[in-house]
Amino acid sequence: MEPDKPGEQMTKKVLCIEDEHFIGELYKRTLDRSGYDTTLEVDGVKGLSLAQTDQYDIILLDLMVPNLTGIEILRTLRDSSKTPHLKAKIIIITNLDQRDDIRQEIEKQADGYVVKAELTPKELVEFLDNVA
Amino acid sequence: MDNLKKTRRQYHIRLLIAFFISGVLPLAVYIGIKKTVGLHNDYYGSAIALALVLLMSLFMASILARSLITPLKTLWELIISYSPQSNVQQPKIETLKIGREMVANLSMQVFKLASAADTNQQAQSAQLISLSNDFVANKLPLPLFVLDASETIIFANTPASDYVGMPNKDIIGKNFYMVMDMSFPSENTLDHWLKEVTVNTATASTSWERVKLNVLDNHPTRLFDLAAFYNKDNPNHYETMLVLFDHTKQYSQDDQAISFVALSVHELRTPLTLLRGYIEALDDELDTKNSNDPELKKFMENMRATAQQLTAFVNNILNVARVNNDQLELELHEENWAEILNSAVNAIRLRAKVRGIEIETTIAPDLPTVGVDRLSIYEVISNLIDNAIKYSGESKTIKIESHLNNDGMVETNVQDFGLGISSSIMPNLFTKFYRDHRNRSQIGGTGLGLYLSKAIVDAHGGVIWVRSTIGKGSIFGFTLIPFTQLAEEIKNSDNKDIVRGAHGWIKNHSLYRR
Repeated sequence: MEPDKPGEQMTKKVLCIEDEHFIGELYKRTLDRSGYDTTLEVDGVKGLSLAQTDQYDIILLDLMVPNLTGIEILRTLRDSSKTPHLKAKIIIITNLDQRDDIRQEIEKQADGYVVKAELTPKELVEFLDNVA
Repeated sequence: MDNLKKTRRQYHIRLLIAFFISGVLPLAVYIGIKKTVGLHNDYYGSAIALALVLLMSLFMASILARSLITPLKTLWELIISYSPQSNVQQPKIETLKIGREMVANLSMQVFKLASAADTNQQAQSAQLISLSNDFVANKLPLPLFVLDASETIIFANTPASDYVGMPNKDIIGKNFYMVMDMSFPSENTLDHWLKEVTVNTATASTSWERVKLNVLDNHPTRLFDLAAFYNKDNPNHYETMLVLFDHTKQYSQDDQAISFVALSVHELRTPLTLLRGYIEALDDELDTKNSNDPELKKFMENMRATAQQLTAFVNNILNVARVNNDQLELELHEENWAEILNSAVNAIRLRAKVRGIEIETTIAPDLPTVGVDRLSIYEVISNLIDNAIKYSGESKTIKIESHLNNDGMVETNVQDFGLGISSSIMPNLFTKFYRDHRNRSQIGGTGLGLYLSKAIVDAHGGVIWVRSTIGKGSIFGFTLIPFTQLAEEIKNSDNKDIVRGAHGWIKNHSLYRR
């Protein structure tokens, strides 16, 4: 776990929309230590507006967040009329097994999918390192 | 009618002539003879004359009778020939010398009567058929609707009106979509299908699953399968026939079961995520603080292994629910078996290690690639090793071996040298653990894992088995099909650009192909 050396590479910005405070905290801790710059957001609506206004490299999106579901956020972010210049890769992070129709939609719209319980924070970082 | 009057008149005239010829004429001849010959007192002569006249009268009468009876006989034959199931041939009226016209007229009447009777009989039987149609449709224990070309309901049986909850008279004549407000699972709705078939085809049939009936007032929603038959321009206007199969109970139970399991698993996974996260963070802290206390390190490893095992068990619950709901979906990809096996063994090595068990792996070189669903086959390996760990007892070794067997299949064996399994419970090993209460304590928690492993290996087209000796240990083996054998199947399916790993997937990336 090498801390990021400034100037060696661009720090990747991560937006983590996750309502479980402790999980978010663990992810931020590990990601920041691995050289990412992580912003945490627990609210769906606020998370969406952050994703639309600021540029991120990676958006970690929980499917069960307050005020707006992850699927709705995903749809809005993928709708170019509502989110014109999105360059972030969207990775769904969830512990909920999805219905077939939702799963198919996620496969179409998201860049990656992670079952949170299956990965420790470090393993998540390893996963994200491989996301182009 | 005119013909009949004419015939009757002809018959009267004929009777008069017959009466005249056979009665009046011989009498006149007799009187004439008496006057001209003058046989006033000659009894002998009178008797001869009378006998002559009588003879003549008889002769004339017989001729006349025949002229009357022959047409009657012909008529009689004619009527008999028209009567049902008769063998009598229809007489030829043209051959009649006397009364041809009369018989022809009468035969016309007979023919008319006969055909009228025929039509009547046909009409009656037709009515019977239509009645029986109604009868069957009404007794059909499935809601049935018949629509005309304008999608108006022209028939609805009793179950149909019961299903909709409206009296039959309120349904007939209404537009079908006004009576049935339906939600279809895809774009292909009844409306869509009808629009297409009315343009393109004469007859067509199709069906839909999981159609939802939206009801206005507080009735519960109904879920059904719908079958439709279309017949263009049906003479009775029976253009579209619809049959409903109510599956509300089955479908809603399924949905509830899935969501219950999914939600339970979600509730279990959230604290697990945290547990694993904090164990890792704590381990990190121990490292950075250079704490080399071996006991603490051991505790950490035990905690990590236990959390991992719990995660695997939670996945089993979810996957068993998927198997039970026929939702276990596999995506078979070409994979290097040695690499998958090693990677799965490495993931579970910690769990063995904390119990002091070493896993020895022997994989034959040059194994053919296999067609497997990585995520699922990981679980098979993981379950078999977890099982071996549980059954190892005092033994500290588990051997994993893989080779190409004589049937050309890639065979993998997981062997422990522990307790062994009693032959009496072997048949139940691959069934769900809760099915056999007597053996539950003996099998422990493995029943679920083995049941799942069998389902997954079966789905891969392989076979799974167990050999065991009490006190010596067990060997669990399974086979996989080489990829070349599956290549044809894969070729025909869509080429998926998503790479699945054991813990998630990334689009267009070969992360898990390392």
